[in-house]
Amino acid sequence: MEKDIKNVAILGAGGTVGSLVAGIIAQEGINVYLLSRTKQRAQKGLSRAIEQARSEVISRNIICGDYESLLKEALTKADWVIEAVTEKAEIKHQMYERLDGSLKPQAIISTTTSSLPLDELVSGRSDDFKKKFLSTHFYNPPARMPACEITGTHFTQPQIYNYMKDFLNRRLRRDIIEVENIAGFAGNRIAFLLFSEITDLVSSYGVEMMDYLIGPYTGRLMSPLATIDLIGLDIYAAIIDSIRKNTKDEMHDSFILPDYITKMIEKGLLGNKTRSGFYKKGEDGRMMFFDPSSFQYIDSREPNVDFVEQAKHLIHIGMYREAFDVIKSADCKEAQIVMNILCTYISYSYSRIGEVTRLEYGIDGIDRVMSGGYHWAPPSLILTMLGGSKVVRELLKQHSLAVPDWLEDVQDAAGAILKSGKFFVAH
Amino acid sequence: MSENRVYILGGYQTDFARNWARENKHISAMMREAYQGGIYNTNIEPQQINAVFVSNFAAELYCRQGHLSAFTVDFDKSLAGIPTIRFENACASGAVAALSAAAYIQAGLYDLICLIGVELMKTADAVEGGNFLGTAAWYEKECKGIQFPFPTLFGKLGDEYDKRYGLDDKYLARIADINYCNAKKNPNAQTRSWFMNLEHAQAIGKYNTVVSGRIKVTDCSQITDGAVCLFLASQKFADTYARKTGAKLKDIPVILGWGHTTASMEFAKKISDSQDNEYVLPQTRKAILDAYERSGIADCRQLDVIETHDCFTTSEYMAIDHFGLTEPGQSWKAIEDGTIEMEGKLPINPSGGLIGCGHPVGATGVRQLLDAYKQVANRAGDYQVAGAKKAATLNIGGTATTNVCFIVGV
Repeated sequence: MEKDIKNVAILGAGGTVGSLVAGIIAQEGINVYLLSRTKQRAQKGLSRAIEQARSEVISRNIICGDYESLLKEALTKADWVIEAVTEKAEIKHQMYERLDGSLKPQAIISTTTSSLPLDELVSGRSDDFKKKFLSTHFYNPPARMPACEITGTHFTQPQIYNYMKDFLNRRLRRDIIEVENIAGFAGNRIAFLLFSEITDLVSSYGVEMMDYLIGPYTGRLMSPLATIDLIGLDIYAAIIDSIRKNTKDEMHDSFILPDYITKMIEKGLLGNKTRSGFYKKGEDGRMMFFDPSSFQYIDSREPNVDFVEQAKHLIHIGMYREAFDVIKSADCKEAQIVMNILCTYISYSYSRIGEVTRLEYGIDGIDRVMSGGYHWAPPSLILTMLGGSKVVRELLKQHSLAVPDWLEDVQDAAGAILKSGKFFVAH
Repeated sequence: MSENRVYILGGYQTDFARNWARENKHISAMMREAYQGGIYNTNIEPQQINAVFVSNFAAELYCRQGHLSAFTVDFDKSLAGIPTIRFENACASGAVAALSAAAYIQAGLYDLICLIGVELMKTADAVEGGNFLGTAAWYEKECKGIQFPFPTLFGKLGDEYDKRYGLDDKYLARIADINYCNAKKNPNAQTRSWFMNLEHAQAIGKYNTVVSGRIKVTDCSQITDGAVCLFLASQKFADTYARKTGAKLKDIPVILGWGHTTASMEFAKKISDSQDNEYVLPQTRKAILDAYERSGIADCRQLDVIETHDCFTTSEYMAIDHFGLTEPGQSWKAIEDGTIEMEGKLPINPSGGLIGCGHPVGATGVRQLLDAYKQVANRAGDYQVAGAKKAATLNIGGTATTNVCFIVGV
């Protein structure tokens, strides 16, 4: 591109990602066409963008409308078209059909999907469309999650790819992670493997206990099952399905959707958007937990496990490394579960270097997407917390997990721990 | 301060964007990180520390915890038993602790003092926290029953400027805009990812409400959780440290001078006392002039950068003429001609200041000194003022009741 992007069209304003990305673009003084099926939906998107910016003045840069009345005009102006419509291939195909041939000669088109195969999405499209097309996968909410995965197909023109990489970083202050064109990219591939393992254990231990054991104190802002409620169980199921179909690795069999989740989806228990998922607020305001055996919501059993409480206290007073020593040395089945999840996280992340991210990144690309996309302690930090590569190799063997060649100590471990406190929340 | 010079060896600032209350962290966790970060950044050996000074405004109110300095002895086994003191002088707690540390060092009592400024504020909501902050003024007279006492009082500072010299609020908005803009380059600034522009800072709306008088949300500094560690050393220690680290003593930042004054507690009295003075806050002006004199500086033209106490845009507006960037009452000129911007003749708050970087009350004075150190040591990264050799800080407590100015240089 000779000139910088001045006008952007966002298709799928009704969704959170579309509207909030519109917001961060408008905040930079770039004009945005925010489009949805109806103008009302686009305007709701604008409200979300305003709330994110905490300023009404960004609305000056955003024009809302529906596809019928505004798409044509938007496409004559847009230097960058962002497709953020529903995560269904046929809906995206229909949209691309409308765009193909109508884009400006210099325009760029990107999708926000990370799980639908990009090559299938562009099949049947013109050569011109294909060369303009790539994926820019933002994390939610983009104001707080700077990670952005980027990848193209083998049709994507390198100049377009390189320009977007630079633009996203320079103008939108995204932390760019170049990923390979494989379903789930880096962040979702790794996170969803852990989600799968945890949802599987829910059948035996229950929702409350699993989120208690793998809670924020293990290096995340939000507990895993609460995160799935936020994602939405239907979307969660679609992504698991896509990763299972389109990837193959040593943990492939772990990408499973338990029957109880399929039934939850059938019953419309989709998470936060239906106010019922793994969690549900009772009428009196107290939190209740989904019970997969009875399909009822049950009261808290107030889990209290010694090593968890000790670790949380140490995190409360800022002794993070010592907290992990407690987790590591605890001798009970609950501690085994926690250690197994942490070890799986390390093993699976390090095993994906060169497959989901570029080889030359080492663990850095995966570290950045897990911290800047999920707000999870990056795998290299958990490796350090558990005692470094030598100790972790042994732990991985004990847990019958792959021991990747890549396992290396973080060069600057003391500095890494120092900056790590934000990942460990004393809950 | 020509004899027994006091050197600054560096330190550490926590990320002011963090919400430690939401992380369910104890205030000592924040101090611990600041301490460990200071040790890590300076390569100082803990057993060399002679004393730990802690500055904090109101942990008793915000987190029901006093006696903060005692926590530090558990941060490292070699700190067991060492002398520790906690200092409180409202928002100037940090600078006052630094002054005291410098005095101990100049008196030859200690060679190396670890100074930690800390405040955990997000435990309280805006109204309750605003009430806590009111104890930095004359609570009974100025704050009781007033929802946001400090915005009210600093709004009156703007009103006084308006009365004496005229004040267009667009200049206050520009001060906010510049501070937010600078903060975007500071990796530890609270607002570094927030949206701001001049139009938003000028507009009154749902997200930029009037807090009190002429003070809108964007005119205010932040409610911040943060801690900062700073190592102050004697010349003897700094000399050995320089040799050990391969640095030259002349390149280690030194406190060149300081000024410290106290004005009447009550804001209205300050204003009535200054009616015949060309400066609205003469005691603040005096602290600055004392610092200039002690450091052998004729005026602000010999400074390269200022970190000032912009608890509100009006306090930075006041600092501009009190530092002497313009004639009294003419601060707008230094805003209009770009003097105070990053690329201007005398940048103010490259860190983002209290508005952009954040204002963990008891830590602010220490943070300003750490930033002054970074600027003159050429370690400020993306917010470095090119070639800075002399930096000034102004830390005020209450309604410019306690005023402390430092000049730091190499």
